[in-house]
Parts: sequence; structure tokens; C-alpha cells
Amino acid sequence: MTDATNLERCYRRLLAWYPRAFRREHEEEMLAVLMASARDGRRRPGLADSADLIRNAIWMRLRPQRPPPTVCWALRLMVLGAVLELVSLATVLATQGGLRSAIVRHFPHFTMAQWHAEVHAHILPVEVGAPIAATLCLWLAWANGRGHGWARGLFLGFFGLTSLSLLAAFGQHAATYAPSDLIVGCGLWLVGLVTVLLILNPRSEQHYSRRRPDRRTRENRTAVGGLGHEHVWRSDGGSASWN
Amino acid sequence: MQEATFLILTALAAGSQHGYGIITDVTGISDGRVRLRAGTLYTALDRLREDGLIEVDHEEVVDSRLRRYYRLMPAGAERLSEEAARLQANADVAMSRLDVSGGLAT
Repeated sequence: MTDATNLERCYRRLLAWYPRAFRREHEEEMLAVLMASARDGRRRPGLADSADLIRNAIWMRLRPQRPPPTVCWALRLMVLGAVLELVSLATVLATQGGLRSAIVRHFPHFTMAQWHAEVHAHILPVEVGAPIAATLCLWLAWANGRGHGWARGLFLGFFGLTSLSLLAAFGQHAATYAPSDLIVGCGLWLVGLVTVLLILNPRSEQHYSRRRPDRRTRENRTAVGGLGHEHVWRSDGGSASWN
Repeated sequence: MQEATFLILTALAAGSQHGYGIITDVTGISDGRVRLRAGTLYTALDRLREDGLIEVDHEEVVDSRLRRYYRLMPAGAERLSEEAARLQANADVAMSRLDVSGGLAT
């Protein structure tokens, strides 16, 4: 094994201390700088270089994430969504008696069996689903805060389900029998809608793309290793082109 | 603003540069006093990019190694200019007081 190969392997081992997203973005160019800075014949990284890499890698792992304001607001609204899920559960539990009275007022022949069927079909799913949805909201807030693209997609799906359940509530005349439940549901839907608009905002894009290797990095990584081959990517006012 | 950040922005004020170019330029600007290491440089570059002060200009592969060139953005130029003005003002005050006292600290 040549000195350069051995040195490069040692540097790669040190670079492994950095977070994966940072490595994906900078590993190859850092390696190029480290190899260019190394003296000829060196087989192992110097102590100062190693200490600098490890110190900064630890800092990169510990430093707080700073998402853009749009994402910050979206995360706050996800937490608010979790709180509203629990409020909706409390409202359903508190208005359960009133709901039965309201139904009986409209349908005097409403039997106990029908009421049990109603509880199993509509109330029980809310009682079980609301704590799960609240936990999901908090988990998605955490994952979106870390910049995971799948978490954004998952929240969109979650918002779709919330919209469908609200439409179903309107379809079942919830406005007549359970207006307070419906008001909380509408509040929850509005919070979800604003959250969706915020995470889909172009200003949130950079936060999510940090974890995604972009096209030019992928293609340049492919080009690295092809001896004598020179590839240039140039940024011109936001558009990318290969020369 | 930390000195390393100030020097990196100063290096990029002359035009786009790649990582190794910034290191050698910073050494030159500081007369050999500041020697940036790769870990410190890329942590700073990552933060500056996040803050919208610099951006990637272009990339190339030379001798099978990736070179990414960074350039100063208008916000970065403005921050650098503000910081330079602040340092200049402090230096002016220090120099004028040294002139008054005949350059002697007692």
C-alpha cells in the first residue's frame, strides 16, 4: 500500500466522525484539501490535523440545528397540532353525554344498541386515534426539525387523513350533533393547512435538501476516480450547467 | 465575527476560491499568523453557506480530486464591509489615543 493510499484511508477514518449529511456534502473536497496540505511521504495524519478534525466533527454533531423561520413556525404548529389532538380528545370525552341527548332529540327512537354502534364507529376511533395522532405530530416535528424529507412527505399524508376525517365529520352531520367537536376539528385542520404551506415554502427547501446529496455532488463523485477526466459544474443565477 | 470567519470572507472578496486556495490566501492575508486547518475551514464554510453569506460557485475534478469553488454573496459582502468598518473605527480610536499619549502606555 502506498503512503498516499494509507494516508487517505486514515483521513477517511477521521472524517467518519462527522455527521453523515455533512460528509455527503464535504467529504471529497475536505479529503482533497487534506491530501494537498500533507507533506510528501507522510503516512499518517499529523496530531494537529487529527485534533482539528475530531474537535470540529464533535462540534458539528452537537451544534443546534438552525432551520429557517418557515420551518421553525411549522415545527411550532406541529406541536400545537399535538396539543389540539388532545383537546379534541378531551372535547369528545366531555361532550359524549350531550351528543347522545342531541341524537335522541332528533331521533326519539334511537336505541341503546344504536348508540353503542355509534360509539364503536365514531367515538372510540377518536379516543384511540387522538393520542396516537398527538404522538405522531410530535415525532414528525422532531424529524422535520432534523431536515428529513420523508418526514415532510409523511406530514402531508397525515394532513390528507385529517382533511378526509373532517369531510367525513361534515358528512355525518357533526355540525348538528357535535358542534364543539367540529370546531376543534376545523381548528386542527387549519393548523395543519398552515403547517403544510410553511413546509412547502421555497424558503424551507434548503433545510430539507441539506440531507439530500444534490445532482452535481453525485455526478462529481462519479467523476472522482476517473483519472485525467475533468468535469466542471457552474452555478449561474440558480441554474446549473455542466461544461 | 471570529477572526477566521473574517479572514475567509476577506479571501473570498477577491473572487471565488476552492478550499485549499482559501487556506493559502488566509495564511498570506494574516502574514502567516493564522493557519486554517481543513476541519475548521469546512465547519466555517458550512455555517457561512447556511447563513447565506457565501455560495458554491462551481466545481471541478482535478487529478481525480473534487474542487468546489465558493464565492461571496451580496449579504456576505455587506457583513464583511460592516465588520471591516467596525474594526477600522476601533483601530482609528486606538491610534488617535496612542498619538495623544505619544505612543506610550503608562
